[in-house]
Amino acid sequence: MTIDELRAKAAQRQQTCSQIKKMIVSRLDLEIEPGWITDDQPLFGRGLELDSLDVLELYVAIEAEFGVALYDSDMAVFGSVSRLADEVDPTLRAPA
Amino acid sequence: MASVLASLHPEDTVYGDVGDATVPLRFSSFPQEYQVLRERAAVLDLGGHRLIEITGPAAVDFAQRVLARDVEYLTSDRCMMSLVLDESGQVVDQVVAFGREEGLLLESSCGAGARLLDHLLAHAEEGAEIADRSADLTVIGLEGPYAWGVVGRLIDGELASLPFESVVDTTWNGVDIVFARTGYTGEYGYQMIVPRQAAPGLWAGALEHAQAAGQEALELAMLEVRQPIPRHEATPGASVIEIGANWLVDITKDDFVGRAAVLEAFETGGGLRTVGFTGCEGVPAPGTRVLAGGQDVGEVVYAVQSAGLGATLGLARVDPELAAAGLGLTVGGVDVTTLTSPYIVPKSWSIPII
Repeated sequence: MTIDELRAKAAQRQQTCSQIKKMIVSRLDLEIEPGWITDDQPLFGRGLELDSLDVLELYVAIEAEFGVALYDSDMAVFGSVSRLADEVDPTLRAPA
Repeated sequence: MASVLASLHPEDTVYGDVGDATVPLRFSSFPQEYQVLRERAAVLDLGGHRLIEITGPAAVDFAQRVLARDVEYLTSDRCMMSLVLDESGQVVDQVVAFGREEGLLLESSCGAGARLLDHLLAHAEEGAEIADRSADLTVIGLEGPYAWGVVGRLIDGELASLPFESVVDTTWNGVDIVFARTGYTGEYGYQMIVPRQAAPGLWAGALEHAQAAGQEALELAMLEVRQPIPRHEATPGASVIEIGANWLVDITKDDFVGRAAVLEAFETGGGLRTVGFTGCEGVPAPGTRVLAGGQDVGEVVYAVQSAGLGATLGLARVDPELAAAGLGLTVGGVDVTTLTSPYIVPKSWSIPII
């Protein structure tokens, strides 16, 4: 792929990650700017330090915002923002 | 600094110098030790982690100034991981801060204790006493999906299910120890701060229920869940934002050493960003150039052979517009693919503590 095509592919993921970060900050009423959360940082326990109640809140928020139900998913989907992005937009998983 | 446990380790243990510490890199077989850590329970000689006590009436205020996370209300039953930065925002160390009745206890990362101690002393304030406790205390860790079972057999099953980053002052065989639920690898993790003279007994007791794993297995498992390893990732000149360790900094805190520099780096948005990759043959050296579409876009931070992936796993620092998973890049002329973190899903995430 050309560098422009790679940038476009990266921008698609970064846009979804940005949308997820804004949703997390808004729904959980966090004091940080969404951009402070990195795509790869842990969310549950370490990192953003989400607990099980936060995760329940995010299940509802993700379904409302992205139309994706994650209720039966394992905790791995909360491994990072980028991992969540893979779930809400499976086209991101295609290699580029 | 050598581990007090060195005399107990097998004769063929392979040691290495990590910063100011000489640590066991592997006790027997690296792949086996990695497998134990990811599949069962590993006991870790964390003697390369220096323990520094901060006491006195100004202890908490001092800690608030030198730690990048908020420790104002870190009670004696809690601990947290935090970066320590210099004025230019460069990483001095990544510590575990334990709240104590008399102040705080800081645990350095492996081999970084002398550097941390020098930094703390250089910023010393009246009313805050800084003391290296490594001559009295050492740290033994437990990590793995069944580490909780070892805690139950070794000390007390109730301790195994403590909430993450909880701390309890307890006893083992009549010896006072500080017990904490922590973790570096995404697996169930615990640390025991123990007097040095009692450490050999606790180590031997832990080995009755778990197998020792060395620094190589520990660092691979840390990388696989994107737990920062300062000695590899805090390269000269790299900002916290470039490293991707924002979560170890509380930018909402009013003031701490390095805050202005970190905030500037965040607001200007410049520099590179870190992303994981896999795919190339061999292990590219730090500094190997990374290309995208034939153009130079960054460099390898460090890489290893991942037993979990069965392939090379590394971190690259690249142009922010290309710091995303799922891209085909080139490292040292070989195709690689960027990855979504965590690169390995810890088994502990699907195993409840019974």
